[in-house]
Amino acid sequence: MAGLAATFGSGAMTNSIVEVEEADLFFIIGTNTTSQHPLIGSRIINAKERGAKIVLADPRKIQLADYADIHLRHNIGTDVALLNGMMNIIIEEDIYDQQYVEERTENFDQLKAVVSRYTPRVVEQITSVRVSDLEDAARAYATTGKSMLFYAMGITQHATGTDNVKTCANLAMLTGHVGRPSTGVNPLRGQNNVQGACDMGALPNVFSGYQQVANEEVRKKFEHAWSVGKLDGKVGLTITEMMAAAQRGDLNALYIMGENPMMSDPDSSHIELALSNLDFLVVQDIFMSETARLADVVLPATSFAEKSGTYTNTERRVQIAHKAINPPGSARDDWDIICEVGRRSGYPMDYRSTADILKEINELTPSYAGITRERLVKGYGLQWPCPSEEHPGTPFLHKDKFTKGLGSFLPCDFKPVSEVPDEEYDFLLTTGRISYQYHTGTMTRRISILEREAPEPLVEINPDDAGRLGIKNSDEVELISRRGSIKLKAEVTERVPKRVVFSTFHFHEAPVNLLTNPVFDPDSGIPEYKGCAVRVRRCA
Amino acid sequence: MKILAKKDLLNVLKNWSGSYDVFAPGIKETGDTIFDCFDESTFTLDYGKPPLPQKSEVFPQNEIIFELKNGEYREVITGNEKMIFGMRACDVMGMRQASSFMTRGDVTDPYCKSKEEGVLKVIMACAGPQSETCFCTTVGSGPFAEKGFDLQFYDMGDEFLVEAGSERGGNLIVKGPFLEIDDAEARTRIDEFKIKASNSVEEMPALKEAMNRLRDGSVSEEVWEHFGRKCIVCGGCAFVCPTCTCFNVSDYVTKPGEGLRVRSWDACLFGGFTRETSGHNPRGSQALRLKRRHEHKLLYYNETDIQDGLCGCVGCGRCSDYCPVHIGTLEVVKAIAEAR
Repeated sequence: MAGLAATFGSGAMTNSIVEVEEADLFFIIGTNTTSQHPLIGSRIINAKERGAKIVLADPRKIQLADYADIHLRHNIGTDVALLNGMMNIIIEEDIYDQQYVEERTENFDQLKAVVSRYTPRVVEQITSVRVSDLEDAARAYATTGKSMLFYAMGITQHATGTDNVKTCANLAMLTGHVGRPSTGVNPLRGQNNVQGACDMGALPNVFSGYQQVANEEVRKKFEHAWSVGKLDGKVGLTITEMMAAAQRGDLNALYIMGENPMMSDPDSSHIELALSNLDFLVVQDIFMSETARLADVVLPATSFAEKSGTYTNTERRVQIAHKAINPPGSARDDWDIICEVGRRSGYPMDYRSTADILKEINELTPSYAGITRERLVKGYGLQWPCPSEEHPGTPFLHKDKFTKGLGSFLPCDFKPVSEVPDEEYDFLLTTGRISYQYHTGTMTRRISILEREAPEPLVEINPDDAGRLGIKNSDEVELISRRGSIKLKAEVTERVPKRVVFSTFHFHEAPVNLLTNPVFDPDSGIPEYKGCAVRVRRCA
Repeated sequence: MKILAKKDLLNVLKNWSGSYDVFAPGIKETGDTIFDCFDESTFTLDYGKPPLPQKSEVFPQNEIIFELKNGEYREVITGNEKMIFGMRACDVMGMRQASSFMTRGDVTDPYCKSKEEGVLKVIMACAGPQSETCFCTTVGSGPFAEKGFDLQFYDMGDEFLVEAGSERGGNLIVKGPFLEIDDAEARTRIDEFKIKASNSVEEMPALKEAMNRLRDGSVSEEVWEHFGRKCIVCGGCAFVCPTCTCFNVSDYVTKPGEGLRVRSWDACLFGGFTRETSGHNPRGSQALRLKRRHEHKLLYYNETDIQDGLCGCVGCGRCSDYCPVHIGTLEVVKAIAEAR
């Protein structure tokens, strides 16, 4: 988000899901699309079958690798080098979009200077990607008119996540692939409403619609609307900063809603220390999660089927959902609980329904001004920006000009993962998700069929490494990092390259985040889940 | 035979709603049609092929079959009289196949049976294909039904000809706005309707060709590999299928000492459906699982299972409508028929 906001002026998927159907090439980097965004992955497979091309950059042999025309299995954490290498070739061979670069972007000379250092030979050294493959990928992406770039957490969950995003954006701008249908830079959001949460200002630096808290005029507008005195103009803390502050004793109370940091945050033994160090912890969730167990107060919330409201999906589409069943026990809607807490704390919040709240969103958020309840119930949602009730919504962003005016090339240099394998910890552990379980399993591990499909944590290990360590399929192995160790079964598979192991953060029996490295991207605050050094040992 | 003026239909449905739960097609604000409790304000006859078959009325997505309370087990068998108005003939055939799979010979599935016995099936015969994926005439499931219904409506413009298929159905139309019509005359008009309707649904020779090839064992594994590669294992084809009956049984502790045993829809395309305790899976790849699914519909069935149909597929075309990567029966049989 931070990366795209800096280059384009807007941190969201630039184009729409349906545009996949018209695209001629997909450059897919850091997203296991068929597994994590299956309906987008399916469209990509269908497009391939009608003749579109796929350039895949992923260390793992994911399902889309079977369909890729070119599969670049670059070393983990070398995305910037890989993308700079592609740009080096594109500039060197003069196949970039000169007119686009001149008319719509700034800072090209600086980009040129930086990427000139990333010659194909240098990049091969860093990434292990063959020169000819890199050239093929660069040429195919640059010279195909309708090229869509997709990325997900494989790009963002690095200490250099923002650099990775900026470099993706640089590549797309260089080739003129932003601002037209079936092109663009398309981050696939990991949850159904994470775009919505960001849009609503669930970030430390903005109100809804990315209106800066540091801007006095913006603050005045919200002060007036909420009838409050002075709103704080200081930027708040990210999750990672909060945990550090709690551990230092600088943060006293925390109110967590629908999140399970005991399982999802890196270096979880430190998370437990941080949370225990709080004077007061409130957790609002639908189940008693690992985090909720530590809370002083647990507030039971409602599940998706028990509440009404709107969700904003990965393509900026706001969709309405209606309550289907009554909540059990004393569970109440999140907004209702917050209002009650507000009232009891002496600040009256008298919204009567989600309709009232949406009305306020329309009034205070220019990009959501035209997304009214009346319009939402009649169709399949509206894509922001949608500034008025007459506006049809925006399928793709940055037509004719970028949100911020000129698109800025923000070139970055390659930095390796923070914890490079050494003699003692000689594997890179990369983490992710599988399709049957969701995040920390709070919900999916209660579903019998999902649990049958994926009942236990597994670690993927290459047959070469497994052979060397005497590990057979389903053997119990121990993964050890500088921060902790877990035991789980091995899945011996070519899916992972040599010296890389892959596991998921779904299972409390082997919480992989005991191992992960708590370094994070300085701009976005996102931790480096995608690479840390571990040792692998076969359990006797 | 009876005849009903179209303008009287709403009153008839309102009247029946007094005696039964009536499920009927309705149109939502978004323009989607859905089968739900009859509601005069949303009721529509312009509903084409319903998005889902009504299988869940006899075989719900989730149903409690046992309850443990106060130290005692109690079997939970439910089923009340309800009417489904406007069923398509293919879906009636689908419900017959699904029910007969559950209860046959000396095996009785009381949970499904009690529900099925309560359902009054009222068919709206199709005057033609409801979408380009319909192929009922090839598998002998439509566009109208020969049996297995309580009532069948034929749309004749301003009026319906109404045929009773059971005593219960007959009792529903003895009086009120249902008027007597000369049987011979009605038959002539219905036969005309049937011929026109049948002729308008395209035959799909690939299906029979595929069945022959499966029987001969002449289908290349490459066909299954091709589909297995792209399947995203969502199970959607099984969940929209009128005849799929895979289920799983699981126990839930509701509070200490109390619990539920629940039966839920499952799909043979999920790896865990056939995985054995040892970890071995006799259908160890998605290609093999897809092969098995389609063989079950087109090759391995018996006469009881298919209830006068051609095979275990009723030609509704929903798997082809909804599969995100186009692995529906239509695509599969075409691939088999065209493979060298």
